[in-house]
Amino acid sequence: EPVLSKGNNCLDAAKACNLNDTCKRFRSAYITPCTSSTSNEICNKRKCHKALRLFFDKVPPKHSYGMLFCSCRDVACTERRRQTIVPVCSYEDREKPNCLNLQESCKKNYICRSRLADFFTNCQPESRSVSGCLKENYADCLLAYSGLIGTVMTPNYIDSSSLSVAPWCDCSNSGNDEEDCKKFLNFFQDNICLKNAIQAFGNGTDVNVW
Amino acid sequence: KGRRNQKGKNRGCVLREIHLNVTDLDLGYETKEELIFRYCSGSCDAAETTYDKILKNLTKKKKLVTDKVRQACCRPIAFDDDLSFLDDNLVYHILKKHSAKRCGCV
Repeated sequence: EPVLSKGNNCLDAAKACNLNDTCKRFRSAYITPCTSSTSNEICNKRKCHKALRLFFDKVPPKHSYGMLFCSCRDVACTERRRQTIVPVCSYEDREKPNCLNLQESCKKNYICRSRLADFFTNCQPESRSVSGCLKENYADCLLAYSGLIGTVMTPNYIDSSSLSVAPWCDCSNSGNDEEDCKKFLNFFQDNICLKNAIQAFGNGTDVNVW
Repeated sequence: KGRRNQKGKNRGCVLREIHLNVTDLDLGYETKEELIFRYCSGSCDAAETTYDKILKNLTKKKKLVTDKVRQACCRPIAFDDDLSFLDDNLVYHILKKHSAKRCGCV
């Protein structure tokens, strides 16, 4: 029994992408390096990341977000959504580094440093606001989040049952910095602002912003 | 005869498109994804070059009865961008040179 059987929003978004010349071109342009194995690696991660950044830079949000933030009711849909960024190449690695160490490597890179700062600014949660966001701007939060895709901080959905996301890292071996590490990781995994923003896009309930 | 006139002669050969399911291509993929397939169709009857004209004349005069010489065909002279899709088992595939971008009588 194939994993993907019935139609769903993520499938509809993929269809719409391939019917649009720009989206089709930039989608293939990242699928190619992200799925081509080299002599001793699954893929050339650097090329895959670069092509993913280009995809989110050049393709209108209607199409790129459509595939990344589609709303789902079943596993077929969430699995397709999880596969959008080709995680086996762009996300997973042999080892899971400590999140604070990963943050250090991110800070050494100009693009990663600035995009991570944007993410922390624009997806700052605020439980007292109606939107759940301090900045009250879902579009800016989603732009900042998608901007991290193609950096060492590339995030993805961590399970098929929720909108929880995380970069490829954990908080083991944090020593005295365990609290800081958990705070960093929870900004991804348990962020009401980001969750609401993704949900609003997926349900089309925040149409005015796009 | 100007270039424009020459081109006009073969206006029969044009790019057409059809919206298909990837499975309609019968390439063995199982997926629900779709695509726009573009193809070349139309006639290339009017001789485009002196070469084509000579072949036509020689065929008419039955000087080439034993050889099968082909007249110009309406074919892709450039291909569309690659197409990628995710199949029902969560494997990505890429199709190259699967769809026409420009057509010509060649």
